[in-house]
Formats: sequence, structure tokens, C-alpha cells
Amino acid sequence: MAFTYSKLASTTVGAGGTSAITFSNIPQNYTDLVLKISGRISIAQIYGAFWLNINGTTTNRTYRYLEGNGASASSGSGTNTNISTGEGNSNTANTFANVELYFPNYTSSNYKSWSTDSVGENNATTSYMDMYASLWSNVAAISQLSILPESGTILQYSTATLYGIRVEL
Amino acid sequence: MSITRLTTNGLTGTKYDTVSADNYYMEPIATTLLASSQATISFTNIPQNYKHLQVRAFGKSTTTSDQDLRWQYNGDTSASYSIHYLLGNGSGAFAAGAANNTLIRANSTLVRSTYTSVYGAVVIDILDYANPYKNKTSRHLGGSENNTSGQIILDSGCWYNTAPITSILFYPSSGNFDTYSRISLYGLKA
Repeated sequence: MAFTYSKLASTTVGAGGTSAITFSNIPQNYTDLVLKISGRISIAQIYGAFWLNINGTTTNRTYRYLEGNGASASSGSGTNTNISTGEGNSNTANTFANVELYFPNYTSSNYKSWSTDSVGENNATTSYMDMYASLWSNVAAISQLSILPESGTILQYSTATLYGIRVEL
Repeated sequence: MSITRLTTNGLTGTKYDTVSADNYYMEPIATTLLASSQATISFTNIPQNYKHLQVRAFGKSTTTSDQDLRWQYNGDTSASYSIHYLLGNGSGAFAAGAANNTLIRANSTLVRSTYTSVYGAVVIDILDYANPYKNKTSRHLGGSENNTSGQIILDSGCWYNTAPITSILFYPSSGNFDTYSRISLYGLKA
């Protein structure tokens, strides 16, 4: 019988916001990880990205993305720590991005690939949504994930929940 | 085995779980599988003890065109939603958005009746659906393929209301849901 979505940890940002949300000492006895984020950051713009550190590092990272901005689609690639679109603080009040990251085989001795689907929302034509394919060229098992804002802080009422998925063979 | 440390850089209100991680946090709430065509599918009295909702829809239209899967929350038919999409149709990629809408949708995920036995699929994630401080943002990943045409979509929608979601009404943009269309509602525990 497959174990679906065992919750490993969750957090809710309190008053004053936070500079990062970190999940440490992630159990190594699951197959995949799923990270769900409902978040908003303090940057005064519509687009506000979340960044990701893995095991405390930002190196050996590459990604490709497909993005929509409410008017047109674009695609690109990069080597920094962007993981998703978020929700900047110029968007409609009380509105939070909806983000999911999927890390298959996070404990394997191969390089680590993951996918990201992320949407911000705004009661206007302009709003951002992204799909990312990312790679961490490192054979270490993932034991720590940190979510950071591209600038400023992650705002109050943002939440992040980490789930483990284990297949019983 | 449990996580032994969670650092949040000065947060308050952090929930740190020390219970066994071998729990089943994704539960089915309700499913509707149609034995005949039907105009709407609704979920009412949605339990409020989950953290997130996930909808999985497998749908077909009774019309001769692909249709959107549309929905509204808590009976709200007013212009209190926004919608945005990113899609590819095999020829190009497109994006658009609209404010002050009366509904949320997943573009063209209900396959037309012309293609028998072909259904579209979409997974809809609604995070923090019961949170009284947040408008309700949904993310929709899905598409359809009929051996002639189709599209892949990443849609989003927002209900500009901080009330907890207690009901969802689904309906096609035109016509009815065809036989064997299915919509399932799941809850992810807090």
C-alpha cells in the first residue's frame, strides 16, 4: 500500500514576517518530497520570486522555465536560485501565491531534479505564473530546504508545508 | 522518523510536528462519477478541518467543441474572481488574464463529444482554503489531447473573499458534463 502525503512539517509566518523558512534534518526514509507554499513577499512589485537553498547551498543550480504574465508567454533559463514566481506586495491585498515543488528520489545518489508549478494572482490583467524544471548537480541527499524571498521578507500568514511520499514495494 | 529541527528565523505561530511521520494526510472527501450527462457537479458542506484541498477532474463535454471547466465558491456569482492562464496548443504558447470575473476556469479541459472515449484531465490545488486572512488562490494543471488537437494548461484563479470555502459548484462553459465525467475532492490535513 502506498503512503501518500505524509506531512513532515508545516509553518505559518507570524507578525513581522520572516527572512526565510527552513526545513532541516529532513527524514531520509521517503521516496519523494512535495513542498506546498502559499506565500507573499514584501517587495513592492507584482512579480516577487521565491528562492530556494538546498542543504545550505546555492551553487551547481540550473533551470528552465515557461512563464505567463497575463498577456504573453515566454521561456528562458538560468543558473541562480529562482524556483518560482511568488506574490509581490503590489498585488491585490490578502492574496497569496500558490506554489508546488516536487522532488522525486531526493535521497538518491544521482543529481537532483525537481519540478515547480507556481502562480501568483492579482485582480488585474497582469499576474505571473511559471513552470520550472530545475537541477541541482550534486549527488548528496537533500536534507535541508530553505525558502527565501528574492528581496525583503516573507509576509505574515504565508504558509509552507513539506510532505513525504513513500512507495511501499 | 520525525524532523528533529525546524528553524524559522524568528517566526511566531510555527507548528512543529513531533508525531510519527507515517500518517495519511491526503484523504478523499467526495467523488461524483456521472452515469449520465449532467449540467453541474457540486460539493457542499466541505469539512473545515483540512489545510488544503485538491480537486481531480476527468471530464468530457456534450457539445461539439472543447469546453472550459468552470466553478464558483460558496454560491458567489458576483464579479469577485480573477483568472489567468498559460497554455500551449502544439503550435504556440499563449497567456492572458482577466479581472473582476464571475467565475474561475480551467481552459478547454472538457473534451468535445466528437471524440468518443476521450476525456480531459486537470488537477486543481486550493491552498489554505479555510484561512480567514487570505483570498483563495487556486492553481490548475491539466489539458486535453484528442489525436487531432489539444492543449496543455497552467491556469490560476482567485476568489477575492477571505471566507472559508464551504462549497464548490462546477459546470461546463457550454452544454453538460458527459457520461463518466468524474470530479473528486481530496483534503490534505493540517
